[in-house]
Amino acid sequence: MAVVVAVAPEQRVFVASQWQLMWWRFRKHKLAVASGVVVLGFYLVVLGADFLAYADPDVSEAQRSLMPPQRVYWFDGWQFGPYVHGFKGARDPQTFKRVYVADPSVKVPIRFFAEGFEYRFLGLIPTTRHLIGVDGGLDASQTIFLLGTDVQGRDLWSRLMYGTRISLTIGLLGVTASLVLGVVLGGLSGFYGGVTDTIIQRTIEILRSIPTIPLWMGLAAALPRDWSILQVYFAITIIISLLGWTELARVVRGRFLAMREEDFVVSARLVGCTELRTIFVHMVPSFMSHIIAATTLALPAMIISETSLSFLGLGLRPPAISWGVLLQQAQNVQTVAISPWLMLPALPVIVAVMAFNFLGDGLRDAADPYGR
Amino acid sequence: MSQVRRTPRNRTLRSRLTVALVLGALTVAVAAVALAQGKNALIGKLEGPEVVTDAAKIPKAFKEAPQLAELVKAGKLPPVAERIGQDPLVIKPLKEIGKYGGTWRAGFTGPADFWNGFRCCSGPDHLMFWDYTGDKVMPNLARGLEMQDGGKTWLLQLRRGMKWSDGKPFTADDFVFWFEDVYRNKDLVPTPSATLAINGKQGVIEKADTYTVRYRFPEAYYMFPDVLAGSTDLAGQMFGYRAMGGFAPAHYMKQFHPKYAGQAEVDKKAKDEKFDSWVRLFLAKNDWARNPDLPVLSAWKTVTPINTPTWTLERNPYSVFVDTAGNQLPYIDKVVLTLAENLEVINLRAIAGEYDYASRHMDLGKLPVFIENQVKGNYKVYLDPGDYGGDMIIKFNLNYDADPEIARWFNTADFRRALSLGVDRDQINETFWLGTGTPGSVVPVDSNKYNPGPQYRKLWSTLDVKKANEMLDKLGLGKKDAQGYRLRADGKGRLRIEIMTLGGQFVQYTQIAEMIREQWKKIGIDLQVQEVERSLALKRTEANEQQLGAWNNDGSEHLFTFPLHVFPFELAAVASSGPLYVKWFHSAGAQGKEPEPRMKELMEKWKKAFGVPEKERIQLGKDIWKIAAEEVYIIGVVGMGPASMGVRVVKNNMGNIPSRQYNSPDGKTPGISRPATFFWKN
Repeated sequence: MAVVVAVAPEQRVFVASQWQLMWWRFRKHKLAVASGVVVLGFYLVVLGADFLAYADPDVSEAQRSLMPPQRVYWFDGWQFGPYVHGFKGARDPQTFKRVYVADPSVKVPIRFFAEGFEYRFLGLIPTTRHLIGVDGGLDASQTIFLLGTDVQGRDLWSRLMYGTRISLTIGLLGVTASLVLGVVLGGLSGFYGGVTDTIIQRTIEILRSIPTIPLWMGLAAALPRDWSILQVYFAITIIISLLGWTELARVVRGRFLAMREEDFVVSARLVGCTELRTIFVHMVPSFMSHIIAATTLALPAMIISETSLSFLGLGLRPPAISWGVLLQQAQNVQTVAISPWLMLPALPVIVAVMAFNFLGDGLRDAADPYGR
Repeated sequence: MSQVRRTPRNRTLRSRLTVALVLGALTVAVAAVALAQGKNALIGKLEGPEVVTDAAKIPKAFKEAPQLAELVKAGKLPPVAERIGQDPLVIKPLKEIGKYGGTWRAGFTGPADFWNGFRCCSGPDHLMFWDYTGDKVMPNLARGLEMQDGGKTWLLQLRRGMKWSDGKPFTADDFVFWFEDVYRNKDLVPTPSATLAINGKQGVIEKADTYTVRYRFPEAYYMFPDVLAGSTDLAGQMFGYRAMGGFAPAHYMKQFHPKYAGQAEVDKKAKDEKFDSWVRLFLAKNDWARNPDLPVLSAWKTVTPINTPTWTLERNPYSVFVDTAGNQLPYIDKVVLTLAENLEVINLRAIAGEYDYASRHMDLGKLPVFIENQVKGNYKVYLDPGDYGGDMIIKFNLNYDADPEIARWFNTADFRRALSLGVDRDQINETFWLGTGTPGSVVPVDSNKYNPGPQYRKLWSTLDVKKANEMLDKLGLGKKDAQGYRLRADGKGRLRIEIMTLGGQFVQYTQIAEMIREQWKKIGIDLQVQEVERSLALKRTEANEQQLGAWNNDGSEHLFTFPLHVFPFELAAVASSGPLYVKWFHSAGAQGKEPEPRMKELMEKWKKAFGVPEKERIQLGKDIWKIAAEEVYIIGVVGMGPASMGVRVVKNNMGNIPSRQYNSPDGKTPGISRPATFFWKN
């Protein structure tokens, strides 16, 4: 019995495919698995941002300007029935602040799968259902503000959902772009060497020698101011991926150089594999781990880049909504002093960046099953 | 609400609801009353110092600041009476005679912020200037202004024995030098100023005697005193940096002028100081904020120039300003303006109590924070609402021609009116003015002498979505797309209109425009908000590329001296009603495009007003505002609020501070409250 138990896993290891090995190894890294779930969650938000939002992120209303987050009561009596209290708002004549007083006599029940503003789910199915909402949909006299509102009375929760969508897709697109650039240029550089190598390597050095933030700022400032939000969005993606590819290209090139003369590559060539087959079937899988690690670790860098550019007012601009835009609108004295909840969008930035880093860590370890 | 689902509890709930509603209504009513009082708590009574013209009340003996007295004792300065001259400019301080000494700390945002210093510290050095109401023209640096020849000739009497800050006499020669050698020099002034002309015909400046200057015009120029008092090209040394001002220190500036110093010499000087031409050198030397050596007439003079991190100004020992007790003004020794990289920093410093008096750059949105820190910062907050109708206005570019469809609608009065009716001004006032502004059209405050009547405030300027939609439907814009936006009449898709805004201003134009974009959805208009930076905005208005432009109309309460936000008057504007009309107006029809009849009528009335007596002029002013409000060339959003330089933060121990002051560029506010009379109580 003991023998069987001891031998079986080992045999499994011998016959398992590379992906299986990676998965087994990855599962052991608890933090990475947890981070993976968080990342998955973030991308679910990306897909269902309009479903998770309950208010139109652009609808403003002065009578609820700068409302603090509402307290949610989960139980109505002994029964589960989340609700928030209604509120009355007025401007305090002495302090000029808007003051909101909860009115305990009015209960606004939170409904699941409630009616709200119209949107297309996944960009396809037109619907008005949202995860949460209030009775009466758009015509309701009272509504909910889970994270409070901004100066224009727009719901922060809903804006955060939309911001997440934009910020995370920019990261993803940016990384994809730099991945393609990095593998292709790095591969060319390493495989052919010579003049190609020199040109590509010197370009990388020049790009890397320029401090990133000023370079981004310069490029972002060069974007025509009359571009539409969509154009700016793609331009920003390209700008931040423009630097991201260099590190990856270096790694790929080094690997190619080292492996070019390895026995298995030489034998592949000798048995008559084409260059393409040699590269993609024999060489690339052997440094897959590096590519995956570099990609996941580049993602948070991309997210931070977009956020900082927008925070500096150089990236996305309102009416676009991204984490950076939300934070940019919070960078003033009055936010710190009277409406600190507007700084909440910093939280998902931190969580997302950390989750991606742990996930990348786990993946790197896992992708190199024979390592350590 | 929930009563529908929970039938058994229906009755109690309904009664509770009624109670809640009644309570709510009560709260709102109480809050409204309180709000009105709260507004009063920060907005005081308009008051200010006065210029004393009664000869009997002019002090005979003078006193001076202790450090100046020491210099006199040491023989380095002539005695105070000699420095001031026979005809001092006597100012009755608002509350009390002050004490000498101390420093006034404030902030500025860089070399482009030169108005900051002009407003606080120049005196003001206008020849004539407004009284504290901003309504009446009073003698200032000049002792008097006499009309002759039915308004064609004006005699300006200077103060005898008055001196420049280097001790040299200030006489009619300084006017003649400026007129002959500066103003008429084509290199220095390529295009003559409209302020020295009537109906496009230029006037001349002559010396009558040492202390009398004669202005002669080909036609009657009744507006001339207002022009000297307003912030115009003849308004004193502030505009010296572009060779205007109406006078210049001849004895000093001659060394930089080729006529006196020789072309070779000025070219060499320019080269030595790394200017590309003598013109640049001359203008830099004539710059009140940049050249500490320039002799000035202002109460304080620049000692460390504006292009350094601390712009410092010190008392002018030859200042002609005195109080009613004969103390030479200013009371405060020194003004130190420290560079703040951005508006957030300048506001933070004010909140921390690091500034003694600050109103420029103070953000109305931060009012609650200012109030909260009053005690800690040892300051008091005042609000100075402006008299002009628009802290935010939206100009239609009537000359836009890149898209004939848009051009056609912009030139249709009912289209402009409908868009104005689609703006929910109360929302904007509550959100961005914290309820302190007044929603309405572009016309100035009701008490303004050119105000055409209270009904024009509301004309086409209330929220009426239904009417706006009806008007747009009737115009032929009835077809809409799936999203509910109106389609263009020429069948080329959605009617999309762009608005250009500037960021980092006193008013948050971009954010407000975004709110209007949401509001205009309800009338089916698709508004695209484009924030641009200032130089791009200027370039695009001049190139006639702007559709809508957001700005304010500050200064427009002085309709005739500050007209650029009333009708197309200046090319260099960040928002324009029509750059081609500007050219047409200034070239007397030779260039540009002839305006539509009502605009033409407005322009002609404005021009005519300069040559008619005041009573007639007031009627013309009212007519102009009537046309402006009826035609809605410019949408007024919210106005008469403190958004633009009207949030004032002043240390509790500073004296002679008005509880409310006239807030306007023409009044060089706080210049109109005579900061030379501000002082430290302890």
